[in-house]
Amino acid sequence: MKTAFSLAAGVALAFSVLALSSPASAQVADSLTIYNAQHEGLTKEWAKAFTEETGIVVTIRQGSDLEIANQIVQEGANSPADVFLTENSPAMVLVDGKGLFAPIEKATLDQVLPGFHPANGNWVGIAARSTVFAYDKTKLTEDKLPKSMLDLAKPEWKGRWTASPSGADFQAIVGALLQLKGEEATAAWLKGMKENATPIRGNSTAMKAVNAGQFEGALIYHYYYFGDVAKTGENTKNVGMHYFKNQDPGAFVSISGGGILASSKHKEQAQAFLKWVTGKGGQKVLRDGTSFEYAVGKGEASNKALTPIADLQAPKVEPSTLNNAKVTDMMTAAGLL
Amino acid sequence: MTSTTETRITIAPRPRLPAASSWTLTIAVVVALLALLPLGFVLWATVVTGWETALQLIFRSRVGDLLVNTVLLVVLTIPICAVLGVSLAWLTERSDLPGARFWSWLCVTPLAVPAFVHSYAWIGLWPGFNGLPAGVAISVVAYFPFLYLPLSAAFRLLDPALEDQAASLGLAPFAVFRRVVLPQLRLALCGGALLVGLHLLAEYGLFAMIRFDTFTTAIIDQFQSTYNGVAAYMLALVLVLCCFVLLGLEASLRGRSRYARLGPGVARRPKIARLGKWKYVALLLPAVTAAFALGVPVLTLSRWLIAGGAGVWRLDEVGLALWQTLAICLIGGLATTAAAVPIAWLSVRRPTRASRFLEGCYYLASSMPGVVVALALVTITVRAMLPLYQSVATIVLAYVVMFLPRALVSLRASIAQVPVEIEQAAASLGRSPGNALLATTIRLAAPGAAAGVALSSLGIMNELTASQMLAPNGTRTLAMAFWALTGEIDYAGAAPYAVLMVAFSLPLTFLLHHQSKKIAGR
Amino acid sequence: MTFLTLTSLRKQYGSVAALDGIDLSVTAGSRTAIVGPSGCGKTTLLRLVAGFDAPDEGGIVFAGQQLADARSQVPAHKRGIGIVAQDGCLFPHLTIRQNIGFGLEAEASVKNARIAQLMDMVGLDPAMLARKPDQLSGGQQQRVALARALARKPRLMLLDEPFSALDTGLRAATRKAVTDVLTAAGITTLLVTHDQGEALAFADQVAVMRAGKFAQVGSPREVYSRPVDVATAAFLGEAIVLPAEVADGRAQSPLGVLPVDDIAYRGKAEIMLRPEQITVAQNGGDGVFATVAEINFCGPISDVRITLGDAFTFRLDIPSRETLSAGDRVTIGVAGAAHLFR
Repeated sequence: MKTAFSLAAGVALAFSVLALSSPASAQVADSLTIYNAQHEGLTKEWAKAFTEETGIVVTIRQGSDLEIANQIVQEGANSPADVFLTENSPAMVLVDGKGLFAPIEKATLDQVLPGFHPANGNWVGIAARSTVFAYDKTKLTEDKLPKSMLDLAKPEWKGRWTASPSGADFQAIVGALLQLKGEEATAAWLKGMKENATPIRGNSTAMKAVNAGQFEGALIYHYYYFGDVAKTGENTKNVGMHYFKNQDPGAFVSISGGGILASSKHKEQAQAFLKWVTGKGGQKVLRDGTSFEYAVGKGEASNKALTPIADLQAPKVEPSTLNNAKVTDMMTAAGLL
Repeated sequence: MTSTTETRITIAPRPRLPAASSWTLTIAVVVALLALLPLGFVLWATVVTGWETALQLIFRSRVGDLLVNTVLLVVLTIPICAVLGVSLAWLTERSDLPGARFWSWLCVTPLAVPAFVHSYAWIGLWPGFNGLPAGVAISVVAYFPFLYLPLSAAFRLLDPALEDQAASLGLAPFAVFRRVVLPQLRLALCGGALLVGLHLLAEYGLFAMIRFDTFTTAIIDQFQSTYNGVAAYMLALVLVLCCFVLLGLEASLRGRSRYARLGPGVARRPKIARLGKWKYVALLLPAVTAAFALGVPVLTLSRWLIAGGAGVWRLDEVGLALWQTLAICLIGGLATTAAAVPIAWLSVRRPTRASRFLEGCYYLASSMPGVVVALALVTITVRAMLPLYQSVATIVLAYVVMFLPRALVSLRASIAQVPVEIEQAAASLGRSPGNALLATTIRLAAPGAAAGVALSSLGIMNELTASQMLAPNGTRTLAMAFWALTGEIDYAGAAPYAVLMVAFSLPLTFLLHHQSKKIAGR
Repeated sequence: MTFLTLTSLRKQYGSVAALDGIDLSVTAGSRTAIVGPSGCGKTTLLRLVAGFDAPDEGGIVFAGQQLADARSQVPAHKRGIGIVAQDGCLFPHLTIRQNIGFGLEAEASVKNARIAQLMDMVGLDPAMLARKPDQLSGGQQQRVALARALARKPRLMLLDEPFSALDTGLRAATRKAVTDVLTAAGITTLLVTHDQGEALAFADQVAVMRAGKFAQVGSPREVYSRPVDVATAAFLGEAIVLPAEVADGRAQSPLGVLPVDDIAYRGKAEIMLRPEQITVAQNGGDGVFATVAEINFCGPISDVRITLGDAFTFRLDIPSRETLSAGDRVTIGVAGAAHLFR
């Protein structure tokens, strides 16, 4: 009994020592801490292959784009992060705006398609995704589909569609709309959306709801569809994909970014990681893996199942000026957040 | 060991227990201050935000919507839980329901299924089930045991002589139930209802999965968009106010009276009502409840496990999550129990106004939703205490704040059973006060402490909100992994994590059931 | 007139027979005490009469109505029988006013008047009406319990050891108060107690109960003076039991030749004397010589052990006197007849 008690006390003591010394998780010399807002599966695939090739150990902290971006801003110079990966550009812009990124090596920037990194070269595109209207094929035919994303704010669409406004994906789309059409039009569109759309948490859940017949359509990104088809297809049986094209705000192609923290103590490894991700190895994972995101490397093909990125007729959006703080303020004001 | 042969006679002061209690009090006060940090933070954040911005962020239609949702949820769920809890407790404790003991276990088992796994199970069967009806239905099956447990204990404690007495005064059985039994269940009803209410306010996963927005889900939305923005603080403020409303309501409904048995003597064994031909109708209630509260999760989980096959048991990931979860449960459980020792000892051995006040502080602090605790600790550590930022210490502190009362209840009960004379005898035999406490009361209260560790671990195992926000880099608990996978609608991949959570929670749930029986069986 | 009749009542709990064939008749307006050691089944009997439990066999007839038989029974709330339990059994969640008014169905003013009248009847201050039971003393709680039971004007009142939880001084006073109230109201009463003094003082009829059966039923004087067996005799009070040779209404015993209350018996037997029949004289007088073997001073009385020759010893409480001490020779006198156990 006595020994049991002292054992318990000993364990507690040991753990509390451990507890106090734990922020040192990334003190191994050849290691890298990634703050990851990309899909966890994709980043893990990258990290695994990268570790196999280089022996650099990778620790991943998972979160969402703006959560982590704001977190990095708060952490400032003390951030334990070395690399920040996102799904969309606004989070990158936020961190860059605070001057917390170190410049990306030119060789890395040169590996990606023109327009897929900001002019200042402080972060780089690592993948891309396209906005799409996923619709219920049993309810909507080609002629009844919205011509523009803006149509979804019109009264006839009341109660018929869904989206995930709390997600960074959707907020990036609104960011593009803001850049393309201005504040007034965006506020009006958000107001219409508040009236018309039912918010759902998560893009895949939104698509699932469309497939289940709960809504006629969902404003999401393309790869959720292909991911499901590749798995069991059980959430896409009734789902069709409608690309808005015509440089419509709804044809927005969002760039997933990668950046290196100025405060990083493992810059060399971090540069190597982004170079690898944007290079052959990383882009091959996009082509052959299950992420179905577009490849952005020069001369790198995307997955064969996807509509080629050049055919999407995306509007020209400058990623380095997407302003998410403004977007969340406007969405909060519209009652969507 | 040579020193023992030497006899030293010193004119030592008599063992001073007050010294021990002043130390204990100091530690208890420090723990209380730490526990109150989140609450203090929310108030501070409000002041810093300034009136104008605060008002703008509080009085907007979104907050109104959330308030309506929250009120409807609470107002609908609690009465249903109460009726269900009273009926089930009566059937299992006071009627000759066949297999009453078995049903009694089944009534507690839903607690082994985390609330968000309940949601996952239901939408697995009915993908279109969402909004308020789903929120109420799933909350009822997930949380009614919080009412069933105290109610069944209260039924066991009721003095059947009072019911006989009422009958002799001309009251028909139902009138006896209404006028004598129900009023005596008031404490259990109020306490259980408060617990359910606080869970409704604090729960994230359950509601996020079925598209029902509450303050907690809205705060997480804000957190995911802005990390720790002002809008999140203000939602947290409103949420905290809602908690206060619940606490106030409970306090005023509970009243001050004690309903203990008057006079000496032992209560007669309760009378068992004969259900007769109603037996089979009555069986329907626990059977249907169990079907919804346990059948649905079992069905969905088995379905996904079969669909996923062996492929979903990725031992590297599942195993790592399990190991990390068990480690953090153990650390958290031990820390929580250790933090509860001073106040537990004080409240039994030195009950003063100060100790009662401190105890109140712990309960108040733990009634703050996990999202508020996490938001506060994230902000405080990142701004003022960077060495603790993202550390195990911080997440353990959050668990201590949230689950301390669980350990406190177990510890108090077992310390109260150790006669103070034993402690004094040890002191009179030359042990220092602290040493005397350690050698006697704490050793003898060890089973209670173990129960405290187990019960707080149960809470930690199934905790999602605070864990997600505070977990150190590279840490991924079962709950977090499950949540991440369901977010990508990989329901099959999430199933092993859910199964592990349930499997590890089950024994702890049984412990809870056993303990409530023991407390009532005094 | 027989008001309550119990016929061959049996009640079994598991393998234990709590009641093993109970017959009892109670006349209207009388007071009956059922006395026995704890666990003898007396509370079970009361619960059957109240309707809280059903008998396995036998019947209960009350005021001409069959309350219970082996097949069916009238539920407690339809019997019109009041009960005051050992600890009063007040509803802890209600005030005194609500407790007393609990079984009353009347409009507020009538109810309040009746409650005031009842408080007066049991001798309690109306100022207590607003209090909760735990703010009252034990004796006060019992009075409230009585008032509550009286409120419905029951035809039969059951008292389940209502005074045993009270202090000695309070017990007698409360018993007197309750007896007076019940007598004034003319309510038939059944008292269950383990205190023989209480039973004898309270009742017109005493039933001595042992192991689920009545050992003896009779008037207090009868059961006290002429108990059916040694156990009953000892249960009801101090008894000095002597071996004797009996013939023609006279017994040859260690205390000399004594008259007995049975003239027909002849042969060896045990006879019983109550201590109050015995006098201890120091200065001679009639009787048998004996020696004080031991004396314990207990204030007003002294507990003495008296030896008759070598053969027989008995204990006795006598009024304390200064002059008596161990070893003294005394004369033992006997008044009245001895009781013969047949």
